[in-house]
Amino acid sequence: MSRAGSTDLAVELREVSAGYFVAEGLKALRRKYVEVLRGVSLRVDGGERVAVIGESGSGKTTLLKVVLGLLQPMRGDVVVLGHRIYDIPERERWKVTRRIGYVPQDPFRALNPRLKVADIITEPLSRLHLPEDEKEERVRAAVKMVQLHESVLNHYPSRLSGGMMQRVLIARAVVHEPELLLLDEPTSALDVSTQAQVINLLNGIQERLKCAMVTVTHDLAVAQYLADRAVILYKGVVVEEGPLDEIVRNPKSEHARVLVASYTLGVSNPPIPASFV
Amino acid sequence: MSAIRARFNSAAGFLDLAKRAWKKSARFRAGTLLVGIMVSIAVLGPHLAPYPLDGWGVVPRNAAERAGKPPCPEFPFGTDSLGRDVLSRVLVGARLALVQIALVVSVSLALGLLVGACAAYYKGPVEALLNYVSEIFLALPAMVIALALRLALGQGLHVVVVSLILSWWPWYARSSYVYARAVVEMEYVLLARLAGVPGRTVLFRHVLANVLPPVLVQAITDLGSVLLEASAINFLGLGLPPDAPDWGIIVQNGFRYIVSMPWISMFPGVFILATALGFSLVGDSLREEMDPKMRRRWKLWF
Amino acid sequence: MVLAVEAKRLSVGYEELEELLWAVREASFEVGEGEAFCIVGESGSGKSTVASAIAGILPPHAVTDGELRIWGKLVVKGNERSYEGVRGRLVTYVPQSPGASLNPYLEIGDQFYHVLNNLYGLNRREALEKARAYLKMAGLEPDAVLDRYPHELSGGMQQRAAIALSLSTGAKILVADEPTSSLDAHLRLQIVELLKRLRVEAGLTLIFITHDMLLAGALSERIAVMYAGYLVELGPAREVLRKPLHPYTSMLIESVPVLGIKRPLKTYAGEPPGPGKLGKGCPFYDRCPFRLGVCAAETPPAKEVGESHHVACWLY
Repeated sequence: MSRAGSTDLAVELREVSAGYFVAEGLKALRRKYVEVLRGVSLRVDGGERVAVIGESGSGKTTLLKVVLGLLQPMRGDVVVLGHRIYDIPERERWKVTRRIGYVPQDPFRALNPRLKVADIITEPLSRLHLPEDEKEERVRAAVKMVQLHESVLNHYPSRLSGGMMQRVLIARAVVHEPELLLLDEPTSALDVSTQAQVINLLNGIQERLKCAMVTVTHDLAVAQYLADRAVILYKGVVVEEGPLDEIVRNPKSEHARVLVASYTLGVSNPPIPASFV
Repeated sequence: MSAIRARFNSAAGFLDLAKRAWKKSARFRAGTLLVGIMVSIAVLGPHLAPYPLDGWGVVPRNAAERAGKPPCPEFPFGTDSLGRDVLSRVLVGARLALVQIALVVSVSLALGLLVGACAAYYKGPVEALLNYVSEIFLALPAMVIALALRLALGQGLHVVVVSLILSWWPWYARSSYVYARAVVEMEYVLLARLAGVPGRTVLFRHVLANVLPPVLVQAITDLGSVLLEASAINFLGLGLPPDAPDWGIIVQNGFRYIVSMPWISMFPGVFILATALGFSLVGDSLREEMDPKMRRRWKLWF
Repeated sequence: MVLAVEAKRLSVGYEELEELLWAVREASFEVGEGEAFCIVGESGSGKSTVASAIAGILPPHAVTDGELRIWGKLVVKGNERSYEGVRGRLVTYVPQSPGASLNPYLEIGDQFYHVLNNLYGLNRREALEKARAYLKMAGLEPDAVLDRYPHELSGGMQQRAAIALSLSTGAKILVADEPTSSLDAHLRLQIVELLKRLRVEAGLTLIFITHDMLLAGALSERIAVMYAGYLVELGPAREVLRKPLHPYTSMLIESVPVLGIKRPLKTYAGEPPGPGKLGKGCPFYDRCPFRLGVCAAETPPAKEVGESHHVACWLY
């Protein structure tokens, strides 16, 4: 199913500040507000591939929650797929979020061990009122797109390896042909060889669906394969943004410079394998 | 990696769990055997009893000459003070025993699971209210409730069953709440909600489905404990009428004659014990099988 | 010259659900004194198990075979293991997350005291003196750290403290299991520099485990590549990276994303297998693009190809 040229805005955050209330003192009589994101602005157009790069504590998880409609920011505007998502009452937000494909970080926590893979992947289609056979078709197509064999549909998550679980999650995220794909550390839990497979897979999918793809990661090297533009988060603030290649070549902010340097492992040049050149 | 898989497996396949337990644990086999015997007796009881009428509590016509006989070939378990064959009474009693505990545990399990899961899922005021209510019931001992019901409603099965349900469900509610709290934070619940799956469906498909297995195993062990409590309530005369074919009642009948005719109380007592033990063994070994880490530590020390 | 570590056909297995699964299969290698040796592998490769075997922290229910020597002392022979006087004194261990090696209930200073008192009977004053020396060596300011609890320190500081603690035992062999995996990127560089410096300053023999090929290249002199419990390639770091012999090593190198170089990531289908029963043939058979008939039938032995560069592959 084609989508008319997605030049619409997928996500826009304008000067968003968000945080959490933390219970303080005995019996949580008082609650302190801890700000995690400060004045963050982000814009993702339809069909764009953007990376949000941040390490632990940078606020990237909070950013995801804000985009998913799970955490109302204290300040700022949030527009997701054309809707001001926080103007919609919580119970109705699914009408927007169901157009998003979200792949969470930990596959062990994202798959219901009591459901078969087929049911897991079919779930996002439940509100679409499609005839049974069309649902089945889509599920099978999704499984093929993630390069898994159909037989996996009958298994329970316990039978799957880490890489397979990740693919099932991706299949679930794309079965309803989302306009926006949100990936939370899609390769962090994977082995190097599986990581490469998943990276190639994700790019293939994004090309086919022509959806906007936002990858949240701490790994700059992986990000360069999954995004054209990047936003670097540090302690809740955007310290740099722009085309990823630019940032890598010429980092402007202090943090970005340190980050880029640590990937080339600084000091002595590591021997570069012959096949690289 | 395998240890994690084993834990996953037990959630997905109860039968697999049982099969594994059967292979590995002698306790499981012993327990299942005991339970199997008791269930068969419960089903076939009235047909196996040599004196079925005695079993149901009817005093035989030739009571005077029959009464108080010690175990002999004619009456393998002896006769009670009213001349009834104790063996028959015990065999028929199996049915009531299992009916009582099945009713109590299934209803309180269902109620407790639902309350705990709702509290964890809906959070906020619902959570506070449900927890408060279950705490109140948690504080009430079955005996006290039974006493009150007995006075209000008179004798009968309903007294035993209702008082036990009212005092047991909060334990399952609490257990369920604890597990459900962890499940509710799982990403698969979040994914379901983002996809627009209605709350009730999420509650059943994701939360209850994953809270059930661990609590269920606890419930199996509880069947034994409930039997002991139910027998106690009947023993005290707070539940079933004095002629009812219930093990607790039979023990009570024989209590006055405990020195002169010990067999009246002894045999039903042994059956109560054996049944409770059976369920306890089954539940215990299932629980052990579910938790692979504990198993490995056992090997370390033994 | 005595070798720091010598392994001869070392195998380690675990009993899992009544089955014996081998995590390491007949690994043979040597680590010279003062060397920086790196074991690279993915999950299920057995690299962590080898590290545990060297450090002497295999669980009691593990099953071993073959031989392992530390400074010439036999610590593993067949299924018998004895690490008396070796564990802690000759070999020390730094796990992946510093949270695992630092007791969350004790201040850092106290931890040093317990370790040193236990091993060498030092009293508090002596222990703290040593602690200061080692903390400084690890690039930490002793006064800022000694009175703190681990959770009061940042991740990078925790890892440094853990390294300092393990060095304070006076052991000359440091086994580090993925020392940088749980750290943020910019800290990774610092820890790598630290380890390099310590190796020179304290004359350490460094054995560390990682899945990161590039890190291995930057830090070690020799690299051992493991797959599914087998040691498939062993050689000088530069050689292994520049001219990998084993197809798996090539795959590992070609599938690593490197910042700044945007070449397509090549990959072979499939995933690394977990610990399993002893099987026939090469473990990489299913995924190898160069497989031959003999590869399915028999496990290739290690052969020396080039200067101290060994590989276990039928292609050679």
